[in-house]
Amino acid sequence: MSTETAPPSTVRVDARDKVTGTLRYGTDRVPPGMLHAALAVATVAKGRLVHLDTEAAAALPGVHLVLTHADADELTSGGFLLGGGYGFQSFQPLTGDRIAYRGQPIALVVADTLHVATEAAALVRAEYESEPGAFTLDAPGAEALVQSEAIPLPMFADVVAGDADGVLAEAATRPGAVVIDAVYDHPAQHQNPMELIGTVAEWRSAGDGGADILTVHEGTQNAGAVQHGVATQLGIDADRVEVISPSVGGGFGQKNSLQPQTALVAIAARRVGRPVKLVVPRTQVFHDSSFRPATRQHIRLAADGTGRMLAAVHEVDQQTSRHDLFPGTHTEITSRLYGIPNYRGLQRLVRTDVQTPGYMRAPYEHSAAFAFESAVDELAVALGQDPVELRLANDTDTDPVSGEPFSSRHLAECLRRGAERFGWARRTPEPGSMRADDGSRVGWGVAVGCYPGMAAPTAARVCAEPSGAVRVEVGAHEMGQGLRTAMVRTVAADLGIPAGDVTPAVGDTRALPHHLTAGSWGTAGALPAIALALAELRTALKVPEQGPVDVAAAVAATGRDSVEVEAVYTAPGQPPQVLDRLRAGLPAPGGPEHPGFVTFSWVAHFVEVRIEPTIHRIRVPRVVSVADCGRVASPTTAGSQLRGGVVWGISAALRESSEVDPRFGGFLNASLEEYPIAVNADIGEIDVDFIDTPDPMLNSLGVKGLGEVSMVGVAGAVANAVHHATGRRFRRLPIHLEDVL
Amino acid sequence: MATPVRTDETARTTAPSPPFSTTVHVGFRVNDEDVELDLDPRESLLDVLRERLELTGTKKGCDHGHCGACTVHVDGRRVVSCLTPAVQAQGTAVTTIEGVAGPGGELHPVQQAFVDHDALQCGYCTPGQVMSGIACIDEGHAGDDAQAREYLSGNLCRCGAYPGIVAAVRAVADRSEG
Amino acid sequence: MRPFAYAAPASVPEALDALVAAGPDARFLAGGTTLYDLMKLGVEAPPAVVDVHRLPELAVVDTAGPDELVFGAGARMADVAEDPVLLRDYPMLAESLAKAASQQLRTMATVGGNLLQRTRCSYFRGGAPFACNKREPGSGCSALEGIDRAHAVLGTSDSCIATYAGDWAVALIALDAVVDVLGPDGARTVALADLHHEPGSHPERETTLAAGELILRIRVPTTRTARGSTYHKIRDRESYAFALASAATAVALDADGVVTDARIALGGVATRPWRAAAAERTLVGAPLTVDTARRAGEAALAGARPGRHNGFKIELAVRTVTDALRIAGERAVQ
Repeated sequence: MSTETAPPSTVRVDARDKVTGTLRYGTDRVPPGMLHAALAVATVAKGRLVHLDTEAAAALPGVHLVLTHADADELTSGGFLLGGGYGFQSFQPLTGDRIAYRGQPIALVVADTLHVATEAAALVRAEYESEPGAFTLDAPGAEALVQSEAIPLPMFADVVAGDADGVLAEAATRPGAVVIDAVYDHPAQHQNPMELIGTVAEWRSAGDGGADILTVHEGTQNAGAVQHGVATQLGIDADRVEVISPSVGGGFGQKNSLQPQTALVAIAARRVGRPVKLVVPRTQVFHDSSFRPATRQHIRLAADGTGRMLAAVHEVDQQTSRHDLFPGTHTEITSRLYGIPNYRGLQRLVRTDVQTPGYMRAPYEHSAAFAFESAVDELAVALGQDPVELRLANDTDTDPVSGEPFSSRHLAECLRRGAERFGWARRTPEPGSMRADDGSRVGWGVAVGCYPGMAAPTAARVCAEPSGAVRVEVGAHEMGQGLRTAMVRTVAADLGIPAGDVTPAVGDTRALPHHLTAGSWGTAGALPAIALALAELRTALKVPEQGPVDVAAAVAATGRDSVEVEAVYTAPGQPPQVLDRLRAGLPAPGGPEHPGFVTFSWVAHFVEVRIEPTIHRIRVPRVVSVADCGRVASPTTAGSQLRGGVVWGISAALRESSEVDPRFGGFLNASLEEYPIAVNADIGEIDVDFIDTPDPMLNSLGVKGLGEVSMVGVAGAVANAVHHATGRRFRRLPIHLEDVL
Repeated sequence: MATPVRTDETARTTAPSPPFSTTVHVGFRVNDEDVELDLDPRESLLDVLRERLELTGTKKGCDHGHCGACTVHVDGRRVVSCLTPAVQAQGTAVTTIEGVAGPGGELHPVQQAFVDHDALQCGYCTPGQVMSGIACIDEGHAGDDAQAREYLSGNLCRCGAYPGIVAAVRAVADRSEG
Repeated sequence: MRPFAYAAPASVPEALDALVAAGPDARFLAGGTTLYDLMKLGVEAPPAVVDVHRLPELAVVDTAGPDELVFGAGARMADVAEDPVLLRDYPMLAESLAKAASQQLRTMATVGGNLLQRTRCSYFRGGAPFACNKREPGSGCSALEGIDRAHAVLGTSDSCIATYAGDWAVALIALDAVVDVLGPDGARTVALADLHHEPGSHPERETTLAAGELILRIRVPTTRTARGSTYHKIRDRESYAFALASAATAVALDADGVVTDARIALGGVATRPWRAAAAERTLVGAPLTVDTARRAGEAALAGARPGRHNGFKIELAVRTVTDALRIAGERAVQ
C-alpha cells in the first residue's frame, strides 16, 4: 500500500475507542478488591502427578489460595466442543492426577499481587511418574484412525464423487494424460492473537435467595459456551453466569470455546470471596489453548493432455490429542475448487500427547489449499500451461460433490481481475527467467481458495428511542472483523438515519443468547438477524416496509417510552431445534450445503516473491488478491480483513512453525520471539479488490464470509512463486532461507 | 559490610540495609499527573499502569519485550513498559495512550490517521502502535515507507494491519515535514 | 520472580560500594532488557540489584576525538546508533545497533549492558524441564541433541552450543575495541576480544569480568578503514529478530582496488563475538572480488562444527561475509 492511499470514506465505528485505548477488553477489568492469579504447569509431557508440594507457595505472605486437583472437588470437565460440550478439549486440568501434555496447569495460586502470585506459582513443586509420549505424526505410539469410522457423523464423512481411483489408474497409462502425485507437510502453528487468554471472575449475591451470580470478563468468541460451560463445570444454573466480552483482542479460532482457566478462576474467586484475575502468560498460552494441528496431505491429481482435470484423491493425516478427536474437513474445499468429476477424500486422525488442537484461521482450508494448489501448479508446469488459464479452464458453476448449483461463484472473475491488476500477462513461464534490477530472481505465483458459506442461528434486538437513537444488539462477538461497523451500517442504511444515531452492542450474555462467532459466519448471521429485527421494528413502529424512517416521530406516535423488538435468524433450511442449541451455548452452524444450493466464498491470490542474490532471502514485495464474499457489507473493514488474511498467509508460508522436541513434548518455541509471526518490515504492497456481487441465496443481504477465505491459497501462491523463481518445488511449510540457499 | 538480603525465606522479614530496600517509594508523572507509589522492585511499569493506576489502554501481549503492545513514552521516548521495572520510572514523565489526545479530547494526529487509514482491526495492539508511531515520527524515522516499516517493526499486529499502520504514520510524517 | 532488594545510588563509586555490600550474587541493572527479562523467567534470581541506568558518568559519548571513539556504558543503543560520526565513518557500528531488537528496546538498552546480553537459546531461557549447563552448571545441555537450528557452529563445546546473541560486540571486536572496567580491585582495561569466554567446560562463565566489576566505557581506536564497512544481519524476519548469521566487515582499498586493511567478525554463528582474523589475512594484498570475498568467508568458517539442524549456517555465514564485503567495498575509501 502506498502512502498516497486516500483515507477511506467510511470509518470503523469503534476506531476512536481503539486509538484512544478506551475500549475495554476482558482483563482490562480492575474491580475493587481484586486478587491476582498465576498458574503452575507440568514439566513432563505425559504421566501422573505423584506428589504436589504447595507448602512453600501457600506460606508466602500475600498468598490467599493454592488450588490443586487435590482440593478442586467441585470442578468437572466442560466437555469437548465437537463432542457435545463446550471446551476446546474435554480434558480439564486439576480434575485428577493425570498429565496429558507438557504445560498443563497443575495448580492455580491466588495472591494480593501479580508478582507474589507468580513467585508462589514457581514455588509449587511436583513429582511425576513419567510415561513415554508421541508428539508428531510419525512418532512411535502415535495412533492413526480413519475419521469416518472414528466419528461416524455425516459432516465428518469422506467426500466422494465418481470413481477417482479408477480414473487415476486409467490416466496413468493414457497417452498425454498427466498425473501429479505428491505429499505436502504443514507444521503445527499457534494462533497467537495479541490479547492473551485470561479471565476476571466476580461473584455477587443475586439477592433472590438463590445461588450467587458469577460474572466472567474475558476475551472470547463464544460467550455462550463460556456461560454454559462454566455453569456445567461448577454445577450451577447457566442463568447464574454472565459472560461479558464486548471486544476480543484477536481470536483467530483460539478463543472459540471454553478455556480451562475460566472455571479455575471462578472457583478461586468464590473461595477467596473476592474478584480474581488471571492473565495466562504467553508461554503458557502455547499449551493452555488449541493450535493448528500438523498435517500431511497426499494429493493425486490427473488431467488429460488439454488440461481438463479428470480425477483427484486427497488424503490427509491430521494430528489430534490422546483425549479428543479433532476432526478435519480439508477435503470439503479441495473437492470444490474445480469441476473435477471424480474425487475421493480421506481424513485420518493421528493421536498424539498434546492438548487438543483446534481451529486457527482457515483451519483446514489454508493447509489444504497449500497442498492442492501446489499440486495444480505442478500440473500446469507438467502440461506446459499457464496456471491461470488452467484454473479458468476447470471452473464450474455446479458443485461436483452434490450436483447442486453454487449460490454464487465468481472465482473466474477473481482470477481474471487479479491477473489484470497484477500484470500477469508479463510473466514468462520458465522458472528463473525473471530478474529484478538488483539481480534478485523474481517469481510470480497464483493460487485460489474457497471457504464454506455457513450461517449460524443469531439473535438480534433493536431498540428505537424517542430521541431517534437506535440501539442494536446481536448475540455475536467483535474480534476486529468489523462486526460493529457492519451492524451500524446495516441499521443506518435500512432506516435512513445517520450512523452516529446507531449504538451497537455485542458480546454480553445478559442481553441475548450468544452463538459461537467463527467460520466467517459472524457477519453473515448477524446482518440477516438485524434485517429481521428491523422488519419487526417497522411493524411495531407502523412505518412502511421500506424507505427512510423518522425514528423519533415514529416512536412518539406509538406513545411508548421506546420500542424494542427481537428476532432470531437461522441458516437456510435449519430446523427450529437449532434455537435450543443456541440457547444452550452449543454450536449450530448450517452449510455449506443448504437446501437446493451450495455456498462458498472464493478468492484468487497473485504473489510476487524476490529472492536476493547471494543470501537468497525470500521477500514478498507485492500481492494482489480479489475476493468474492458476496455483497461487501463494510468496504473499509473488509479491505483490512482481506489484507490481514494475506499477511497471515505470508507469515504461515515463510515464518511460522510450532517446534517440537520429542524428548520433552509440548512446544519448544513458545514465545513471540521464537515463534516468528510477520513484522511490519516483512509486508510489502497488498492490493485487494472485491467482486461485490450479492449472493442471491444465502441470506437477504447477499453477504458471505470473508475472514477465513482471505487467507486460503496465499501460502500456495507463495510456494508457487518460489518455484517460479527457483525451479524448486517446496512441499513443506514454512519455506525457510536455508531451503533456497 | 552486611549482606542486605538473603535468598532464604527469612529475607522477607529481614529489612535490607541502606541503600537497599525491598519497598521503594517512587514518584513520577503519568500523563501530566503526579503519582507516588510504594513499589516492590519486581513490579513492571506495565503492571503498575494497568493494575494499580487502572490505565488499561496499555496492553500486555508477551511481558518479555517481544511484541510492543505495552509501548509507552518515558520522558518522551518510546519504551516497552513490560521490561521497565517501575522503580526506574522514578522522576520521569510517563505518557500512555490515555495521555496523547488533546485536552478537549481531540485526537492526536497519529490517532486520527489510524482512524482514517483503518490501521487496526481488533485494536489490541493499537495503543502500542500509536505510541510507537508518534515516537517514530518524532525521531525522524518515518521518512519513507521502508524506513517506517523498519522502525515500526517492534510492534506486532496479528490482525495484519501493517499496510494501514505504515500509511497512517507516513501520512502524518509527510504533513509534519510540509 | 524472586524478591530482591533494590538500590539506585547516585554515582559510580556508590554503586560499586553497594554491589560489594550486597554480596557476590548481586547484579548491576542498566536497561533491564536482559536482566529483568531473565528474572521474570526465573533464569536469573539475584538477591539484590544495583541500578546504574541513569548514572550521568556512564552516559558520556565522545566520537570527535582524533584517536578513539568513547562510548559511556550507559549510553543508549538508540542514541549511539544515530551518532553522526558513526553514521558517516563507522557504518558497521551504527548498523549493528540499529539492527538490534526494536527501537523501544534500543531506547532502553545501554551499549555497555548490551555487551553482556545473554544467549537466546530456548533451553537456557525455558527453564525446567530443559537441561542447561549455563543456567545450572553440570546439568547437561538439552540443545546438543535438540532443536539446534539457531545454535552456534563456531566456538562450541560438548557442554554448550548457545549462540552469542548480540550484534554490537561483533562490530566492536572487528575494530579492536577495548572496555574500561572498574571494580573492587580498581580499574583495568580489557580488550573486547578478551571479554567473552568460549563455553568450554564452564559455559556459566561468560565473561572475564570479576565479581563487582562494572563496565564504564567502550573505546574504539579511530580508523579510516571503517568508512568502508557494514553490519550485515540475516534473520528469519526482515526485522526484530536475532541473527541466523551476521557479519561485520570493513575494508580499505588502494587506488588499484587492492585491499590494504580488512576487518571481519561474525555474529549469530558463534558462542561469543567472533573475530575472523585468518579471513582478514586472506584479503589483504588481494583485489576485492566476489571470489576473494567468498574465500575470506570460507576462511572465516574454517573449523565450523555443524549440529543437527544448523549446518546451513556455515554456508549462510560464508555468503553473509561475501555479501558484506561487497557492501563494504562499495563504501570503501580508495
